[in-house]
Amino acid sequence: MDPALRRRLERRFGERLTGPIRQRHDETELRIGAGDSGEVIRALHDEPEFGFTFLADLAGVDTGTTMQVVYHFWGASTPDWLRLVVDGLPRDDPRVPSVTALWKGAEWMEREAYDMFGITFEGNRDLRRIYMPPDYQSFPLRKDFFLADDAARSPGAGVRHMEQTHAPRNATPAATIRRTRA
Amino acid sequence: MTTTTRGRKGHASADDPRVMLDEQIGVFEPIPPYPPRTEREAEFYTLRDGEMFINIGPQHPSTHGVLRIVLKIDGENVVDLDPVLGYLHRGVEKLCENADYHQAICYLDPLEYVSSLFCEWPGVMAFEKLLDVEVPRRAEYIRVLSSELNRVASHALFMGWMALDLGGLTPILWSFIERDEIVEMLASLTGQRMLFNYFRIGGVNGDLNHEFMSRLGEWMSRATTQIEANIGLLNENEIFVRRMRGLGTMDSETALRMCMSGPNLRATGVPFDLRRAHPYSVFPELEFDIPTRTEGDCLARYLVRLEEVKQSLKIIDQCLNNMPDGPIMAKLPRLLRPRPGRAYAGIEGPRGQYAAYVVSDGTDQPFRMRIHDPSYLHLQSVGLLMPGHLIADAMAVMASLDPIMGGVDK
Repeated sequence: MDPALRRRLERRFGERLTGPIRQRHDETELRIGAGDSGEVIRALHDEPEFGFTFLADLAGVDTGTTMQVVYHFWGASTPDWLRLVVDGLPRDDPRVPSVTALWKGAEWMEREAYDMFGITFEGNRDLRRIYMPPDYQSFPLRKDFFLADDAARSPGAGVRHMEQTHAPRNATPAATIRRTRA
Repeated sequence: MTTTTRGRKGHASADDPRVMLDEQIGVFEPIPPYPPRTEREAEFYTLRDGEMFINIGPQHPSTHGVLRIVLKIDGENVVDLDPVLGYLHRGVEKLCENADYHQAICYLDPLEYVSSLFCEWPGVMAFEKLLDVEVPRRAEYIRVLSSELNRVASHALFMGWMALDLGGLTPILWSFIERDEIVEMLASLTGQRMLFNYFRIGGVNGDLNHEFMSRLGEWMSRATTQIEANIGLLNENEIFVRRMRGLGTMDSETALRMCMSGPNLRATGVPFDLRRAHPYSVFPELEFDIPTRTEGDCLARYLVRLEEVKQSLKIIDQCLNNMPDGPIMAKLPRLLRPRPGRAYAGIEGPRGQYAAYVVSDGTDQPFRMRIHDPSYLHLQSVGLLMPGHLIADAMAVMASLDPIMGGVDK
């Protein structure tokens, strides 16, 4: 928990934040919208008061209502991990600017987020599927993609399993998608 | 046993010069049967004069698991390459969403199966952050002790298959002897030789027992000389050293831009080790150095890992001397329901930063379990390092980055 970091972030990015900066244990979390993400990440990388030059992780998250892209950074200026949540992406066509200009190593992390969620990273030169076969149609980590053994939640949508023994009778995908506001 | 060009039972053999390969056996073209979808794909799958594609894998003894690489070669030199992943993709992140917090730990083991304790650790740490659990000191020391043993085992295996990819067939067997001793020790502690399933939320599964301590003591007494002997087999071998020196050189700027971590980054000169940069567990109390080299070639990556083995032995020694008494698990309810929130935990594994990011929605199952694996990012660098070298050296470069496909493919 680094209160000085929180003050610096609020002073610099105050108007772009879509929520309060939360700190818990050794992490500081920022939430911004997709339009600001390119500038904010560049500022966090370039400006000497932040200096977050190590991209620790890039992940997609499907909250059930929106899509998010979550970046984790490490910088020498603070003992905390910095988490940047790019929130509010629409579930039908999520698009975010790519960070491959700053970190070429983010290319494959963005490919994985595209493959698993369908999030398009604009500016990534190689945005194709990485785990699934190239002609695969669905995005597996989305909440509306059900596994066959997902007994409580699967009406048989997503992967079709031969037995279909556990499908509850009245379930529809809209009712069974798991949602969170965390 | 002689083989004829006719093969067996009337099937034409590919060695038979009378066989027209395209018509009778089929065309083996690594070029995908659809138009290129991205810039990079278009750039890669267009051949210039004299270039050809060679497909390595997914089944090949040198690729550390099921990895398929499409190499574009000009004669014997590698011009470009495109790794194709997914052959070991098991959908771990999706499976964890349907599992309990306790069950999710079992899914984390087979990710980097060679160093399983490092795979369990960030998941368990992230769950502990969500639940605000404090791990007892004895459990932390046991975690450090067992995981440093696992680091030694993993690096011993690395040395073996580094030599194997260069063509040396003996060191891999010596590595497995080394590893077998350590793995038997860990089996007497955890019950398993490879996928240990030892860490629990709030501590570890079982306390140190007499058999483990006696094996450990006996192994420690000869570990240093044994490792020196194994090292001497390779380090003083002129072929090994001359092949690896100057091969696959990476500078620190590029390594940081490729998001590398671990020994691969430290071999380029950046002394970044999460145990010192972002300390976790009881590492602030332990004394050890961070071996760093500046050359950034295969030999540097190999030597950094050697040094790390020695540092691990130092850490194990300190753990044994300072082992506190107390419980080995925190008191937790059986049904774990953390409050809604997010947690990230990163540790220094033998390959680099191994991390878990967990989103909890207040139920007894994780809402999103994201696993960040270092081998995945190191494999990207293979595309930067291999071009310009011969095919045989290309496999050496890949081995020196030490990828484990279980973690890459999740």
